[in-house]
Amino acid sequence: MIERYRAKIITPSKVITLSITMLAMLVLVIVTSLVLGTADVSFKDILDIILGNTPQDDPIRLIIFRIRLPRILLAGLVGFALSLGGVVFQAILRNPLADPFVLGVSSGSAFGAVLAMILGFGFGLGIPLMSFAGALFTIYLVMMIGARNIGVESSTILLTGVIINAFFTAIIMFFISVSADDRLHTMLFWLYGDLSQSRYTQLFIIAPIVLIASIVLYGFSKDLNIITTGEENAAQLGVEVEMIKKASLIIVSLIMGLVVAFSGLIGFVGLIVPHLARMAFHSDHRLLIPVASIGGAIFLIAADTLARTIVSPSELPVGVITAFLGAPFFIILLKKRGSQWTRS
Amino acid sequence: MKDYRLIIPNIILAALLLWSVPSWSMTFKDALGREVTLSDAPERIIPLAPSLTEILYYLGLGDNVAGVTEYSYYPPEAKEKPSVGSYIDPNIEEIITLSPDLVIGTKDGNLPNSVYLLEQAHIPVYVINPRNVRDSLSTIDEIGELCGVPEKAHQLVENLNKRLEAVQNAVASRERPLVFLQINKAPVMTVNKNTFLNDLIILAGGTNMTADEPITYPRISIEEVIRKKPDIIIISTMDMEELGEKARDEWMKWKSIPAVKNNRVYLIDSDIINRPSQRIIDGLEAMARLIHPEINWDKK
Repeated sequence: MIERYRAKIITPSKVITLSITMLAMLVLVIVTSLVLGTADVSFKDILDIILGNTPQDDPIRLIIFRIRLPRILLAGLVGFALSLGGVVFQAILRNPLADPFVLGVSSGSAFGAVLAMILGFGFGLGIPLMSFAGALFTIYLVMMIGARNIGVESSTILLTGVIINAFFTAIIMFFISVSADDRLHTMLFWLYGDLSQSRYTQLFIIAPIVLIASIVLYGFSKDLNIITTGEENAAQLGVEVEMIKKASLIIVSLIMGLVVAFSGLIGFVGLIVPHLARMAFHSDHRLLIPVASIGGAIFLIAADTLARTIVSPSELPVGVITAFLGAPFFIILLKKRGSQWTRS
Repeated sequence: MKDYRLIIPNIILAALLLWSVPSWSMTFKDALGREVTLSDAPERIIPLAPSLTEILYYLGLGDNVAGVTEYSYYPPEAKEKPSVGSYIDPNIEEIITLSPDLVIGTKDGNLPNSVYLLEQAHIPVYVINPRNVRDSLSTIDEIGELCGVPEKAHQLVENLNKRLEAVQNAVASRERPLVFLQINKAPVMTVNKNTFLNDLIILAGGTNMTADEPITYPRISIEEVIRKKPDIIIISTMDMEELGEKARDEWMKWKSIPAVKNNRVYLIDSDIINRPSQRIIDGLEAMARLIHPEINWDKK
């Protein structure tokens, strides 16, 4: 079945069939994740809640609706956005090592958040707003420093991003080493990636923006295919390379800032899920964008479910699971299939 | 024919009886300024820190403890209670499942998120924030009132206060030796004046060598300790006795430090100096004995 999708021709029906299959898997993972946790919840409990047979203040109902569901939905959205960002950054920077954080957006927003905690407005929307502002500031810096008169050149942008990343990381380390204990915990939790702070209000902000961004980026998918094969080719074929690159850089950085603001730094998803999707299916962006994004959602929900159940009643940082599970799986596929990085 | 004359007195009697049943609804204000209303003395309490577990047992409320956080191993019977995860990030699902009628937390760790989630589940959460030794004693009073044993709490706290004052009186006229308190072996870490431990050193009649460091829990170089010449080095055992012994051996190489030369490098059980419970007074007395061995502590 997998071989079929690896065929060179991508038809709309293939994209739709595969996307629907992935969505069905996503629903399955969500339901499974709802059942798993410290408190005992059965499929029947969930069915009862859906059918409205459970009283409003039943503890199981509270756990499902107030704790597990918002967290699972946030994990799904974050995984979706990280993976989407990874696909697009790898394409426009033409670098298989690129991930959505490579341009320093993550450390920029982490800097914003840590600053918010130090200045004492680490409550309510204080942290997310500051971290979003940090992401915007970083991408502005990268574009300003990295843009040359010959246009947005990939290697300059990448180098600028890496340096800015290192600089902000140093500032964060400084803050952590001089801060008092009670704030330290909040910061460290956030830096490791923390999905437990999910609120429905946040989901209402993130979901529409991520959805719109993914539709716009999907519109670029043909151009991204051509850009991956080389910018000169692309220019000859009439693709407005500069415009696409700048627009995608900004859109991805925006959704990264948003996602980091609400979930902290969750590494590895944006790097490995796009490559997994490429290896398993196809590197045509018309297929890759939906499959990798939904795959990212599935992957992060599964990883977070493990993070909160393995050492229950304690919890692991989700980044531990994403790397621990992702890396071996990634290596197996890499050995079997090669990176599938450039289309043959 | 029934006698109706007794109906009205009976009703009055019944009403009086009902009225005098000790049902109380009280509102308390916690360290975050939140109002916490309890309709009855709580019977299923979950303390979110080892120190709070210790206080509840001290107040004789051990049976009312429905769950504890990690490291709640004092008193030993607390270990039998269900665990609700670590104190910096407790497991909210587990707490809800245990259906407590009161959760007590400290203003550390991931608290705002825990409070938010527990409020969603309509579980009352009371937050404390003791910042020095006297605070931690008044916290015991607060918890006593909250849990319906105010008299017992007042009595115990009065006794603890007496012990605190006894130490104060004993060290009042003495010279205050320079104390270096080591809280971590590698890197060597200590505390500045914004800490609970600093308060403890002062109450025990010492001077904290690193009180004026700008960082709350600063790393300190051996050079700096040699330069400052502390009279006493106290090493918090950090849960493991051998680790403390090793830290002491390291200091023994530096004979130019007065504390080393005069053989005044001591270990102290970190549990009794770190936890803001009644045992902090044990910690205070232990520390005062180390800093002022010249006082005859047992005469009273």
